[in-house]
Amino acid sequence: MNITELKKVFDNCDITEDKIIIKDKLTETLKFIKENYEFNILKEIVAIDNKDKGIELIYRLYSVENEEEALISISVKNEAESVSKIFDSAYADEKEIYDLFGVQFIGNDELKRLYMPEAWEGHPLKKDYNEQDERLKWNE
Amino acid sequence: MNHLYFLYIEFLAKHNIPQLFGDITFYIIPAGVIFIALLLIILALVLFERKLLGWFTQRKGPNRVGLWGVLQTLADALKLLCKENITPKNADRFLFNLAPILMFVPTLILLGIIPYSSEFTFMNFQTNLLIYIVLATLPILSILLAGWASNNKYSLFGAMRNVAQVLAYELPIVFTVLSIIVLASSMNLTQITLAQSNQYGFLGWFIIPCFIGFGIMFICTLAELNRCPFDLPEAESELICGYNTEYSGMRFALFYLGEYAMLFSNSLLLSVLFLGGYLSPFGKYLSPMFFNQNISSFLIYFEQAFWLLLKSFLIIFVMIWIRATLPRMASFDLLKLSWTKLLPLSIINFLLMVVLKYIWGGLYV
Amino acid sequence: MSNKLKLNLGPQHPSTHGVLRLILEVEGEKITSCEPDVGYLHRGMEKMAEKLSYIQYLPLVDRIDYLGAFSYSELLCRNIEKALNTELFPRVKAIRVLMLELNRIASHLLWIGSFLMDLGAVSPFFYAFREREIILEYFEKVTGQRMMNNYFIFGGVRRDIFALADVERFLKILPDKLNDYENIITQNPIFLQRTKGKGILDKETALNGSITGVNLRACGVKYDLRTSDYLYKDYEFTPVVLDGKDAWTRYKARILEIKESAKLIAQAIEKINQNPKFEQDLINPINLILPEGEYYSEIEAPRGLASCYIKSEGGKNPYRLKWRTGSYYSVNLLRRLLVGEYLNDAIAIAGSLDIVLPEVDK
Repeated sequence: MNITELKKVFDNCDITEDKIIIKDKLTETLKFIKENYEFNILKEIVAIDNKDKGIELIYRLYSVENEEEALISISVKNEAESVSKIFDSAYADEKEIYDLFGVQFIGNDELKRLYMPEAWEGHPLKKDYNEQDERLKWNE
Repeated sequence: MNHLYFLYIEFLAKHNIPQLFGDITFYIIPAGVIFIALLLIILALVLFERKLLGWFTQRKGPNRVGLWGVLQTLADALKLLCKENITPKNADRFLFNLAPILMFVPTLILLGIIPYSSEFTFMNFQTNLLIYIVLATLPILSILLAGWASNNKYSLFGAMRNVAQVLAYELPIVFTVLSIIVLASSMNLTQITLAQSNQYGFLGWFIIPCFIGFGIMFICTLAELNRCPFDLPEAESELICGYNTEYSGMRFALFYLGEYAMLFSNSLLLSVLFLGGYLSPFGKYLSPMFFNQNISSFLIYFEQAFWLLLKSFLIIFVMIWIRATLPRMASFDLLKLSWTKLLPLSIINFLLMVVLKYIWGGLYV
Repeated sequence: MSNKLKLNLGPQHPSTHGVLRLILEVEGEKITSCEPDVGYLHRGMEKMAEKLSYIQYLPLVDRIDYLGAFSYSELLCRNIEKALNTELFPRVKAIRVLMLELNRIASHLLWIGSFLMDLGAVSPFFYAFREREIILEYFEKVTGQRMMNNYFIFGGVRRDIFALADVERFLKILPDKLNDYENIITQNPIFLQRTKGKGILDKETALNGSITGVNLRACGVKYDLRTSDYLYKDYEFTPVVLDGKDAWTRYKARILEIKESAKLIAQAIEKINQNPKFEQDLINPINLILPEGEYYSEIEAPRGLASCYIKSEGGKNPYRLKWRTGSYYSVNLLRRLLVGEYLNDAIAIAGSLDIVLPEVDK
């Protein structure tokens, strides 16, 4: 994929050898890439809690026709734009990330606890998750 | 029945028991005989089905309790009897308890209607075929009640499906039965059986002119019994257990027994209507009478009952075979099949039989 | 007044293959909305990874998908081999292909059985299990376990393979048995009625919903990771691509895929025999430390694309480990696929996607 073209449109992005790191305009970028470069599968969204640098979301896009992969990375605090309108599968990923990382996806209206119980406090994959929780000691 | 009655009175007189006692007990005996025989046959049927399904699917089937597992169903029945009867909190108690009874009791009457041998029919009315058809629909009421009363959505779905199914199969059944009535000129099951008697044995059976009718009746019987491929009301993978999801213990056992009793009585009816009932397939040949003229007439009754049971077990075998082979039909496909294929076919079959009767009226009594 | 009824399908329901819960809204028997609720089998696979060292974590990985266990342990091993630049020897590679493909056949066989069970046919379940049993027995012989094998380790396999004659015998009888299934199932009118034209999944919806694997290939998209996988480099095989879009095609595609896998196994056996010397360059798992960085590998698991992402900060355990599983997206696709269908078709459609719940819940 032609990266310089992307840079022209989104001047605010930073390209490393395998990732396109953007700062904002997430939905616009994904939409642009999907429509212009035939990236039609969003394989997964990986969330990584980088402590002070916020939560990094990596969108792994794949084009079946051209057999190439693109990684879009964005660092967010506790809120991100939802891309479930562009890729239907993002709906599922966002639900999972909300449950495990507590990222609020704006535009995904069905965010709720997925794996954890409804009333569970905290998000287990965050690095500041309280592991001394009383409820985790049920078998000690 | 008269013959049996005299035999009984004679037997009592030999032991100096007054005739009055015989008069009273003679009518109680059939009920007891049916009940006990039915329970035994159901136990055998369940075992038969499980063994066959096991063999069809490369398993051994029940083989631990008793010799070759023959006591397995008895053990299961005992287990069910010992289980707690649970009534769901929001269920309609009266209907909930009524439903299993409604399922089981009509089948007892149905079995009393079937002519097991020329003298062995407990209720021999002029129109007992009609009574059979009417009573055979009662279990559907029971299923509807069960589905409604147990206040469970899956049960309700099962009941709804069953009621939709009734419409689908009852009409073809009625038309097919009508064609048999035309052929036999009678609504009495004994006379229908006798109408099929022929010196060449099975050539006189109604399945030969009325093979379309037999096919229709067989399919509809499968649907009426909620058996595979029409087991929609209790479709395990969709509705868990359908109408009897909430039932446990003895009530569940009653449903179970009722189902198998219906299976048995319907296969008996099929063999009476199409396969010559208690008549031997070889006509007068190969019967005990053929070898020994002086044989006791009592033995003849047993021979006749043997043929009837053999035929009905053959039908049940085919039903189990189908169960082992076919996937379940979708409920709409059943309705479609019935309204677009079975019903027109059964009407055509009926008209054909009327014409046949008109042309070769002498062939059948 | 609305005529809608809320129906709770699962988590304890005979046809949800585990603990899937579907909250359905039905009108009569017509489904107007479907909301999958997962998580009844959540074991915190990703959280556990952050607490355990790699070798401690390896046996757990098989539990992600108990029917396709090899794929997942292969993923973790591959990631670590990638990070430490370890090359596999040809024999070990062939052994891995053999195991992965045998596993795929076992998984597809089980699917055929359970799918037909969903449709109400009893016998194919047992027939499929009979063949699957041969594979599982072979697994037991070689790895010591029937399902959670824990056979691949970093840099190789736990022990050399043997009793290849068993596999050859299995390959010999497999076509016959598949014929049996096809005779009893494929052209069965009731089966056709239940599956032909049911659960139409077109290309756009599938790609949009991130559906991969057989389900994607059954709607006409040629995307099989094995064509670009380094393990399968010298193997001849054609991905099964069918353009039927319905449940029946997904069934047919799996049958064809079994045949394709059988071919791969035959080639793998050939390769094993060509490299009779068993040698491997094992990574010492004690104090195994991954260099700082991000590692990603993906594989064609029986239920679609599976991938493993590891971010290491140079510690004994990963900083973040993420699994991608095929079934999770299939489950979420049900929201789209079941709306407007009838209840009895819904079971057939959900079954045709081959959902395995531990894979969804991780």
